[in-house]
Amino acid sequence: MRRFPEGRFRTAVLRRLVAGVLALAIGSGGVTAATSDAHRSPALVATLITAEKGVAPEATAISAGLALTISEGWKTYWRSPGEVGIPPTVDWTGSTNVAGVEFLWPAPTRFTAFGIENFGYHDEVVFPLRISLLDAGKPARLNAKVNLLVCSEICVPDDFTLTLDMPVATGIDAAAAARISDFAARVPDDGTASGIEITSAFVAADRSALTVTARSERGFAAPDIFPELGSQTTFGKPDIRLGDGNRLMWAKLPILGSAGDLPALAVTITDGARAATVEPALSDAAAAPPFLLDRMVPGVSEVAWIALIALLGGLILNAMPCVLPVLSIKLASAVKAHGQTRTRLRAGFLMSAAGVIAFMWILAAATLGARALGLSVGWGLQFQNPLFLAAMVVVLALFSANLFGAFEISLPASWQTRLARADGQPGLSGDFVSGAFAAVLATPCSAPFLGTAVAFALSGRPVDIVVIFTALGIGLALPYLLVAAAPGMVQRLPRPGRWMVWLRLMLGGLLALTAAWLFWVMQGVAGTAAVAGVAAGIAALVAILSLRRLNQTLRLGAALTLAAATLATPAILREAPPAAIGPETGWVRFERREIARLVSTGKVVFVDVTADWCLTCKANKALVLDRDPVRSALAEPDVVPMLADWTRSDDAITRYLESFGRFGIPFNAVYGPAAPDGIILPELLSTEAVLDAIDGARGMGATASGG
Amino acid sequence: MNRRKVVAGAAVVAAGYGGYRFVPALFGPRIEFETLDEPRGFRRIAGGRISTGFAPFAGISSASAPDPLVERAARIVDDDICGALFGASTTGSDVVRMASFSDYYCPYCRVQTKRLSTIESRSGGRISVNWHELPLLGDGSQLAAKAALAARRQGAYAVFQERMMTASFQTTPAYLAAVSASLGLDYDRLEADMSSPDIDLELHVTAELARRFGFIGTPALVIGTTAVQGEIGERVTTELIKIERDEQRGTCA
Repeated sequence: MRRFPEGRFRTAVLRRLVAGVLALAIGSGGVTAATSDAHRSPALVATLITAEKGVAPEATAISAGLALTISEGWKTYWRSPGEVGIPPTVDWTGSTNVAGVEFLWPAPTRFTAFGIENFGYHDEVVFPLRISLLDAGKPARLNAKVNLLVCSEICVPDDFTLTLDMPVATGIDAAAAARISDFAARVPDDGTASGIEITSAFVAADRSALTVTARSERGFAAPDIFPELGSQTTFGKPDIRLGDGNRLMWAKLPILGSAGDLPALAVTITDGARAATVEPALSDAAAAPPFLLDRMVPGVSEVAWIALIALLGGLILNAMPCVLPVLSIKLASAVKAHGQTRTRLRAGFLMSAAGVIAFMWILAAATLGARALGLSVGWGLQFQNPLFLAAMVVVLALFSANLFGAFEISLPASWQTRLARADGQPGLSGDFVSGAFAAVLATPCSAPFLGTAVAFALSGRPVDIVVIFTALGIGLALPYLLVAAAPGMVQRLPRPGRWMVWLRLMLGGLLALTAAWLFWVMQGVAGTAAVAGVAAGIAALVAILSLRRLNQTLRLGAALTLAAATLATPAILREAPPAAIGPETGWVRFERREIARLVSTGKVVFVDVTADWCLTCKANKALVLDRDPVRSALAEPDVVPMLADWTRSDDAITRYLESFGRFGIPFNAVYGPAAPDGIILPELLSTEAVLDAIDGARGMGATASGG
Repeated sequence: MNRRKVVAGAAVVAAGYGGYRFVPALFGPRIEFETLDEPRGFRRIAGGRISTGFAPFAGISSASAPDPLVERAARIVDDDICGALFGASTTGSDVVRMASFSDYYCPYCRVQTKRLSTIESRSGGRISVNWHELPLLGDGSQLAAKAALAARRQGAYAVFQERMMTASFQTTPAYLAAVSASLGLDYDRLEADMSSPDIDLELHVTAELARRFGFIGTPALVIGTTAVQGEIGERVTTELIKIERDEQRGTCA
């Protein structure tokens, strides 16, 4: 048995084996099984199986398999078992009419227990065997003395002999053939059929780590990597990252131990059902990861820092125009309900805080889910979804109309009794919903902190995502928590009176403004027709709800129908994206390939990734980019300003952002002869930062811009 | 009102079942023992799921012809099973003695060995572990076991064991030479010891003990009078040590 068979030869053999087995399997059904007596132990049942029921006339080879059905909790090992362990070995002495046996290894699974990495198989494995015969068409006898190690909590060597007589016969055992071809398909190929190409492999000079990159145009889903570098070298847990829309896989594995001269490297990459083993040539340098290393495995202190930033960011979100009304409404309602007991008040604000955090957890779960599906998610991305926008506009407009006194929102009587407490106070679920609502509204107000924290979360481990979203939620809920801690604060708020009507109107106006802003965003995403449709729907909704004489059930039914119809409009009326952008003179459309070309001709390229729904981008534009001296700096002949519009999700731009480890915007970068890789600007732009970056990219040095 | 009672009743039943079902799991099941007929005076944990069904000692090539070494090992175990198990380690009413059986090629042995060393070093002398080499996994495993026993003769068993347990390796003479050089051992002496009849006998005694206790694989462990098969986790290990300490059973005291 060879440890590292030649990839090409093996692939050819494999393909023939699979094709042959399949062709034969289709051709006939079996009566007698070509299977050896089974070896049974508590850990496994082992048999030798063959696809052919016997040696057919003129046949020079047999397709066989060593089939192991492994009991629950037990496992056995791959040809490179990992840190410790023993691969199965088979001694064929005692076989007759057998010239040679090629033993094929299906791609392994990774087992990690107590920090020890092992590679092998559980449940079921069939090692495909290609048995070549000495005398074609003559009977053969297979005598396999198998030695393997099975482990659960205990490791037990299992030695047994399986024998199988192959008379001269024709016909195929369909079941055995199917099992063999199933596992033959799992044997790694040379990358041709599996579409996995290894693009670089680098062993650090001090043998501390192996870095491998691979590409697959089909995209990777959940790849794993199993390098083999001689029996003396073992690797720790790989750090695997995907980039370029999941077409690039980057992996770094610590080398735990190695000795002597290193033999040729073989790398096996698995991804779902496909796998490839390649012996790549070693590169001179380690490939750069698709996103930054320090974000990947953050220390506890770093997580604490980021959580603190997220907490602050969450707190600041309360002051954002889109959230402030909700908080104010909440406080106003507390003022109105002056008679409320401290306990009730406290409970109400605690429920609101719980609502905020619950929504954040939903977001965290959604992020994790999306990540698991291989999607790239950015903060505020939901504002690219017309359905979400329509729902938000409807809710905001209704609340605003409610505040203007168009109608009163009241739940059906049966709900109210259920929700209300015995003493007639309003239920806590309303408080919960208002908290969740505040959190929903906060999402577009991506403050600079937030971008950092969320980018960190998205590139981090699941636990980071949970920590960060929780911290964001706590920050956003902090005002509610403060009131809950000291309900006396509410007592000090002014008494209800006429001013409350004005406050109501003002808050209604703020909500209406937010709705208007969302309309504008929607216009960018889905077009004017969609906006008109949603606006008409909302007008009808408000009208119906304010018809007080109408039967309540009828009114509610009509309102719900209308709301559903309104939500459907943007999807129906959505327009195709505009063919070209460029409302601003001088700005060219973002083209990633163009950057390098322009830089090579001595130009400076300023890239601005923006979107209609990105408030910070708008601020950057209004306060810095569209003002002198930056505006004239961008208009200079050797500067090319490039606009990347991310209002509608765009894969090319998403990939571009990912290449910097960023998942949200604003994002600005300056390229030039002195900075071919780009100078990344902070999320919140300043005039000095932009001018310095342009001069730096040009190669003039920062001082030149001082004047 | 009636419905409320039904709901309350159901809740009580559910809570009771939940408590019965899950709370004991938090503290772990009570350990139950099964007395062994052979060797006398010992017992094992009852209900082990992996104690039967394997061909005993698949990995050890036991010659069919009577081997004088096997017979000598059997006599040694017959004469003083406690000495063979626990070695000449300090006895005292306060010390719980353990015998660990492991193989350098077995993944779970690494875990168990690290755990036992930690328990021993934390005990302040109240627990002593005698390390047995039970190489069941082929030639490399045999070689590593012999090298470890030879290192013991140079007073370097612990460091050698630690090195072997933290690295990956294929045991070859070159590898052993490199390890002994880095540990400051005399490799020529190590090599000579490895092929000495002493070490051969030591391995046979260990194998004989494992046979008597019915161990089918590694890791395996004897804590006081209780034989344990497989990796058992920190909680069960400390629980067993406590039971053995409390019960003060006299077999090897």
